[in-house]
Amino acid sequence: MKYFYLILILSFSYLSPADAENSVLVKGGNVFLPDQGFVKKDLLIEEGKIVSIEDQIDDGVTGKTIYADGKYITPGLVVFSSLGLLEIGALSETNDNSSDIYNAGFDPSKAYNPFSQAVSLNRSKGVTSTVHIPGASGYFSGLLGHTKINNGWKQKKQGPLAVLTSYGQSRGDSRAAELQFMSDLFDFVRNRPEDKANYETDNIQFFFGTQNDYQFTNRDLVAIRKLLSNELPLVVRVNKATDILNVIKFADTEGIELILWEANEAHMVADEIAKAGVPVVLDPLNNIPGSFDSLNATYENVARLNAAGVKMAFYYNQGAGSHNAYLATQSAGNAVAMGVPYNEALNAITKNPADIFGLVDVGQVSVGFEGDIAIWDADPLELTSFVEKVLIDGVEQDLSNRYEELTDRYTKEKDLPNSYRSRE
Amino acid sequence: MIRKLFLSLLLLVLFGCSNDSFPLMQDEAEGSITKFNNDTHGTYGSTYVPLSSENTVIRNATVFDGLGNMYENYDIHFSDGKIQALGINLQVDAKEIDGTGKYVSPGIIDIHSHMGVYPAPGVRTSSDGNEATSPVTAEVWAEHSVWSQDPQYKLALAGGVTSFHVLPGSANLFGGRGVTLKNVSANTVTAMKFPDAPHTLKMACGENPKRVYSSRGPSTRMGNVAGYRDAWIGAEKYKKSLERNPSSRNLRNETLVGVLDGEILIQNHCYRADEMATMINISKEFDYKITTFHHAVEAYKIADLLADEDICAALWADWWGFKHEAYDMTIANVAIVDQARDGTGCAIVHSDSASGIQRLNQEAAKALAAGNKAGFNISEARAMTWITQNPAKAAGILDQTGTLEAGKNADIVIWDGNPFSVYTKAEQVFIDGALAFDKATQFMPHTDFDLGVKEWEVE
Repeated sequence: MKYFYLILILSFSYLSPADAENSVLVKGGNVFLPDQGFVKKDLLIEEGKIVSIEDQIDDGVTGKTIYADGKYITPGLVVFSSLGLLEIGALSETNDNSSDIYNAGFDPSKAYNPFSQAVSLNRSKGVTSTVHIPGASGYFSGLLGHTKINNGWKQKKQGPLAVLTSYGQSRGDSRAAELQFMSDLFDFVRNRPEDKANYETDNIQFFFGTQNDYQFTNRDLVAIRKLLSNELPLVVRVNKATDILNVIKFADTEGIELILWEANEAHMVADEIAKAGVPVVLDPLNNIPGSFDSLNATYENVARLNAAGVKMAFYYNQGAGSHNAYLATQSAGNAVAMGVPYNEALNAITKNPADIFGLVDVGQVSVGFEGDIAIWDADPLELTSFVEKVLIDGVEQDLSNRYEELTDRYTKEKDLPNSYRSRE
Repeated sequence: MIRKLFLSLLLLVLFGCSNDSFPLMQDEAEGSITKFNNDTHGTYGSTYVPLSSENTVIRNATVFDGLGNMYENYDIHFSDGKIQALGINLQVDAKEIDGTGKYVSPGIIDIHSHMGVYPAPGVRTSSDGNEATSPVTAEVWAEHSVWSQDPQYKLALAGGVTSFHVLPGSANLFGGRGVTLKNVSANTVTAMKFPDAPHTLKMACGENPKRVYSSRGPSTRMGNVAGYRDAWIGAEKYKKSLERNPSSRNLRNETLVGVLDGEILIQNHCYRADEMATMINISKEFDYKITTFHHAVEAYKIADLLADEDICAALWADWWGFKHEAYDMTIANVAIVDQARDGTGCAIVHSDSASGIQRLNQEAAKALAAGNKAGFNISEARAMTWITQNPAKAAGILDQTGTLEAGKNADIVIWDGNPFSVYTKAEQVFIDGALAFDKATQFMPHTDFDLGVKEWEVE
């Protein structure tokens, strides 16, 4: 037993991204390059980074070679989800993506569970990292962060990346009052003595109003201060076209960076969004007038935004949401059917999330970027395609998962009852 | 924000499932029992009138017939609202549609929808899908909640859906009767009702009823089961009492007796395998038939049992994890159910979602691919039955639609490519031979609610 712990401790000390296999050569595949689309290339990854992309790279004497003739190689999918923070939706005891204590300063990424069954399924479907969507109950939903979803105990994280809030009918008060409130709140933070505002651990509750929604701890005010200093952008979930214009104007007046989220009616003001240089994160499949804020929701949203030159990232937000985050490919495939160019659609689930949130060295297959790739048997946006291999930081991932095990257990002929069948 | 999103998902998924059935009705005026004639549903019968149709032939298409076959370079001829013939080089004089490079399938059917009872926009004033006031509400009829101006119907139509079954939600053990509708624009629900479609009864297992009624009961799964059995005992008593007093009416028991008499089809929301097996035991105790288990995430665990009992399983391709009883997902679920007992299983891909219903072909494609990856050898033609023939069977309308056979309703979709591709769109949709949707011309119905909603140019 003593030795067991010793081994465990030793393993821990070696578990780090630097532990990446020294070199992996991926030969003969169709590699998705951000500006060119699929091109037949060889790909060399060393120390976890992509170091070379050439027509022909000779098999090295060291390291491992993956032969990928006829395969499709993309950056790993960068999804927007609560992966690792939410095991079973309706079981609050398994949810770590929300908080009643903090709002703007709530950083759920610290609760990430690398052994979530949802994580392993999504990894097997080509997802290599997630941007966490926070769900705090207060005025702001919290901080977005980025986490690799590799096997094992340690994950590389980037963040916080942005602060999330919402605007429109989903908030309780008048749209007018909501913007006034945010403006007043920002003024308050601007006028706070800097030494106090920067003291992150001083979490004395600060009551701006009387309702719970309008309570802020010092940690929250620190995050708001980062909005005002442009260290972090503000992500606003907003759908109604008039609201979108008001939010753009508000951000401009306040001097904060803006990212639009969901944006079902964005197509109506696509030129204005493009002119303001504001990116949009959305699900192309949202075409239902599901609220009075989305009466003009349409499948054409993404094609029109693309035509106007708006930078977009896609996520899948139908059905079970986070658990099926990998279906961003289905959203992107449908976007192509709606008129978004293929390369744009694939970039919208890999490169663009990284660009929009300022992620460093992830989201594309380019020299110098981290070796997060998925190898597919066919067109990655097609419904019938499968991921065959996933590398994160150049390390080939174990793609086994509970759902494949369940499938095997109930499809393979066995002499024993199901529950005695061996686990993989 | 996520919490709010999640709550709305819960509302849809947790409560969004229930079935109902059409029982006996009594005519009080005459003081005697009048069995509901399924042709009319009494005073609530269908008043549907098809749009005018043309004598039409689609030439040279790839045809999925919904029976499990695929034919290349095939023609399909329909007139007077009915399919007349399928074949190669049909010798008919009719309006020609060039089907070269296109695919043709039966109209898509969704066995589990809440359009109309949970219409868009999703506001409390028109959320009419769950009569969550008592665990047994077999007396309510979903059709009496349906809003005929729901703007979601046409979105489903653009996805090839020609018929859909609207169910009450799943808050209750017995949620009420469901109704099968044609995907047509109308001012009244009866004008949408699928003629001769049987009523159904929604029942719900598991987490939802025991959560909703946790304070008054049932609060456990065993409490749920006692609740079903109590209700059936009451129905048996009521049925007996009708012999003595045929004019007495009881809405709740009329529905339940309709099930016992085999006229109302049971649509049973049930995720877990062990609970489905228990529900089968209950159906044997009271001698009724379960037509379909809905949302049966664990159906693959008892696929042989379902095939033996001739019970369909209506499934998502891959949605999971939103609740505990939806945890044991496999994307091969549909395929395993389909292939049980030498391919005699009845698998259905359903939506329970105004979003999912627009892409049932895509959902079937994912289920097909996962099944074949798991080692089955299932054809696209077979997978097409999951969204056509099998849901028609489960709704009791297979004699009228669900397959492309001479004599059946001309409910037809022309796809601009292989419907199992993400890039494919429905190009034209015919309901009873009448063009209901045309992508090229954007010909489609617009509800009253759609009027005035337009895109103003930004100044």
